[in-house]
Amino acid sequence: MSQVYLFQIASQRTQWLSTRQSLIADNVANASTPGYQARDLPPFSAVLDRAQVSMATTDPAHMTPTQVGFDLARPEDEDGANATISGNSVNLQDEMIKLGEVSREYSETTNIKKIFHQMMLSALK
Amino acid sequence: MATNDPLQASIRIAGAGLDAQSARLRIISENIANSQSTATAPGGDPYVRKTVSFENEMDRAAGFSLVRVKNIGLDDTPFRVEEDPGNPAADDKGFVKMPNVDVLVELADMREANRTYEANLQVAKQSSDLMSMTVNLLKDV
Repeated sequence: MSQVYLFQIASQRTQWLSTRQSLIADNVANASTPGYQARDLPPFSAVLDRAQVSMATTDPAHMTPTQVGFDLARPEDEDGANATISGNSVNLQDEMIKLGEVSREYSETTNIKKIFHQMMLSALK
Repeated sequence: MATNDPLQASIRIAGAGLDAQSARLRIISENIANSQSTATAPGGDPYVRKTVSFENEMDRAAGFSLVRVKNIGLDDTPFRVEEDPGNPAADDKGFVKMPNVDVLVELADMREANRTYEANLQVAKQSSDLMSMTVNLLKDV
């Protein structure tokens, strides 16, 4: 059912955004930790592409790799070019910009969910 | 308390960040308050500047990492020596060892701690805003 698929994408995006939010929280909390590397998620489109070639689940106990989790997190700056002398690569301004992005996209996704719901309700009325 | 909700995790991580930064502010205020504290005995060592260091700590049960104070150390920079024969802490030549605290360095550190504290606070606030956005989906259906 196509509507259900819409809800699925919307909730995957919410999951991606929430995980990203907690990675931002981790980066900001560790802004003064020596040797800490800032981490971020790959773009949502990459996560979605990965989800499309997911393995078949023939048993409820099978785990689907569509779950967006902390295991997807990658260091933002691989070669440590932006790291300070203590080895910390967190840039507070960048994190604040990302925080704004997450907030905007989260409210966008929430509104989209609301509209999907209204669409389904209008079929009933 | 184990949690699988990344938003709840963010609030806890930001809380750990606030704790770490307040510990840092406490050490800074100790240093500033004691920037003139000389020894009690003549010729003795004055207050030694304290330093604070953080580390990343993995919460295995919940699957995310937090921050905590790693250790509170002592700064081994040499003391400043001033000539002040009237001071009760002066040695027999009239020299007093002053603490190795540089108030300017402490103030710069305080600004940074402040800025990081604010950033953590904003993350915590926003995470709870995001949670209420989802809750509000139930409000007007």
